[in-house]
Amino acid sequence: MQTDYIHIILADDDEDDILFFTDAFDELKINTKVNTFKDGEELMDYLNDDQSRMPNVLFLDLNMPKKTGIECLKEIKASHKMSEIAIAIYSTSASEEDIEKTFVLGANIYIKKPGDFKKLKKLLSEVVSINWQYHTNGLNKDNFLLSL
Amino acid sequence: MKRNNLFKSTSFLRVVLLLSLFVILLIGGFTYRHISNLTNSEEIVVKTYNVNLELEHIVSYLRDAESAHRNYIVTKDRFYVNTYLNAKEKVNRAFLKLEDLVGLNSNQQKNLTVLNKLTDSLYNNFSKTNAFVTDNTTNTETFKTLFFEEKIIMDSIRRQSNAMFDLENKLLNEKQNEYQSDLRFTPLFFYLVLLATLVLIIMAYNKISNDLKKIKAKNDQLLIFEESTNQSEIIGKHGNWVWHIDSNKFIYSDNLYRLLGEEPQSFEANFDNFLKFVHPEDVDKLAEDLDNMIDAEELPFVNYRIVQKNGSIKHLKAYAKSFYSADGQKRLLGNTSDITDEIESFLELEERNLELERNNKELSAFNYAASHDLQEPLRKIQTFISRLEEKESDKFSDPGHQYLDRIKSASARMRLLIDDLLQFSRTNKPDKEFVSADLNELFENAKQDIVEIILEKKAQITSDTLPRAKVIVFQMQQLFLNLLSNSLKYCKKETVPIIEINYSKVKANDDPLLSKAPKSFYHKITFSDNGIGFDQKYAGKIFDLFNRLHNKQEYSGTGIGLSICKKIIDNHQGFIFAKGEINIGSVFTVYLPE
Repeated sequence: MQTDYIHIILADDDEDDILFFTDAFDELKINTKVNTFKDGEELMDYLNDDQSRMPNVLFLDLNMPKKTGIECLKEIKASHKMSEIAIAIYSTSASEEDIEKTFVLGANIYIKKPGDFKKLKKLLSEVVSINWQYHTNGLNKDNFLLSL
Repeated sequence: MKRNNLFKSTSFLRVVLLLSLFVILLIGGFTYRHISNLTNSEEIVVKTYNVNLELEHIVSYLRDAESAHRNYIVTKDRFYVNTYLNAKEKVNRAFLKLEDLVGLNSNQQKNLTVLNKLTDSLYNNFSKTNAFVTDNTTNTETFKTLFFEEKIIMDSIRRQSNAMFDLENKLLNEKQNEYQSDLRFTPLFFYLVLLATLVLIIMAYNKISNDLKKIKAKNDQLLIFEESTNQSEIIGKHGNWVWHIDSNKFIYSDNLYRLLGEEPQSFEANFDNFLKFVHPEDVDKLAEDLDNMIDAEELPFVNYRIVQKNGSIKHLKAYAKSFYSADGQKRLLGNTSDITDEIESFLELEERNLELERNNKELSAFNYAASHDLQEPLRKIQTFISRLEEKESDKFSDPGHQYLDRIKSASARMRLLIDDLLQFSRTNKPDKEFVSADLNELFENAKQDIVEIILEKKAQITSDTLPRAKVIVFQMQQLFLNLLSNSLKYCKKETVPIIEINYSKVKANDDPLLSKAPKSFYHKITFSDNGIGFDQKYAGKIFDLFNRLHNKQEYSGTGIGLSICKKIIDNHQGFIFAKGEINIGSVFTVYLPE
């Protein structure tokens, strides 16, 4: 069923971050639908459900209870059904280790959570407007971390 | 060398001894010959005397016989006949003696035969004339002729006797001359030989006394050496031992006993007694090692423990080397050291190292986690501030706006601190990989990272061509970035920042700053700017963590950037120095090993 909105999912255990995230999309006035999950297990339960609609973009926090972002990423990439989802890592840290690991595991882009709401809005609008097909073809370690 | 001398000396003495023996034998031989010559000569004299005596006897008996015969002719008394016949017997006995004395001398034998015949013819004549006496025809011519013949024969006997006498004397003289010539040189020869012997003996004495002096000096040295060995064994906590393998005898030095906690030479030195001290767990291994020693020429170190009688355990280390004596006997020279202190301090050091490593790891992990986890609440504070500013700013009073600005700048500063701390702790991480990299490229990347500030300040940056070097890529880039940022940050207001980067390759010996450098050649890269500079007395402190030379209202530093530079350079076994002059500028000099 084709719809005219962009389906976005955020998996993050931090309520403040969820608030910023949803607020940003509210203000961005892009036709989006945002679903949020509080941990990796909730997310995977949703994605594994045949009834669920797969998101266009999945924002994945790395540090989550029950199931970490890395574990979720591995499961998603291993599943045929979910492999098409564009995955944006959405994390406080931008350590070399995390960036390297998620890149190797097949994430599409890496976003470091900014400390400024305007910047957040800009980053998010950038991400949802990416042509994933095109982006993925030219993806390398240098443009993996999104910077403005 | 010294041994050679001693050897020479022994052979010299041997030669002297042989020579002396030879001389003594020679003297003995000569003496024997001399004495036997003297004896011979005396015998010959006696013989000559006896021959002369007997000859005189004969002549005298015959003279008596002749006069007795005359008396008979005159008196016709038969008594005189008996007298001269008796004289004949005496003459015959004298002849027998003479025959003995003359021996093998053919001339004298002939002479004696002649004398004998003359004697016989004299007695014949006696008989013939006797017939005339009996017949009383003494007045006849025949008788007178016979009687006259008697006198002639008697004269011949005297001559013959004298001839024999002369011959005998001549023989004696000849023999005596012969011996004399033999004996004349003997005393001189003896004297010379004795002199030579004396010289030899004096030389030998000299040599022996010199050698003795040397040996004494050597002995003194040996004593000193022995004493110093004793001392060094006590101080160095080691002892030595000798194992005569063929006779299975051991010699232990005094200090070896002390190592075992015993009085020197307090028990018999042998392996069984030694094994009593060895730690039960090490006995088998040591015995095996000792068996190996018998065949091996040189052995690696053997470590084992011993238990002293007071119960304390010591770690010993032994080393042995085989050694052959002059007569081919195999010996093992061993040295055993007490390495208990060494082992204990090694263990302690290892323990401390582990602790240090643990502490470092913990600190690093703590630092990383702290700065990492601090980011999250800070980020939220900053985001909330931006929300407030955006949505609610029109509701604030003027002081409210001011407070908000203060909160903003404080949290911005906190973010800077955390970022720098994070950076600092990252330079600590062990996953450092040295790769050969083009430093020009890294420098360009660093410039790119701060291109906005460079443009904003219109900074002029010029750079020499930099070399390739083995570096940790992201750290070296960080170093360039920090040094550039530093120069841009501390530029003079209203002056265009000029930053110059120079490169040269230097020899460590030629550069006074590199006096303690371990490598020979270094890449020298200098960053010079025309900024506010600093007082040279802070040049050493400038790299300390959190050390700032300016207050944060003027210049927004955290005091971490240059510490990171220092750490990066340390990681590369390089050196970094700062030189500053207030209001003129600063120069940072980096040395990287080639």
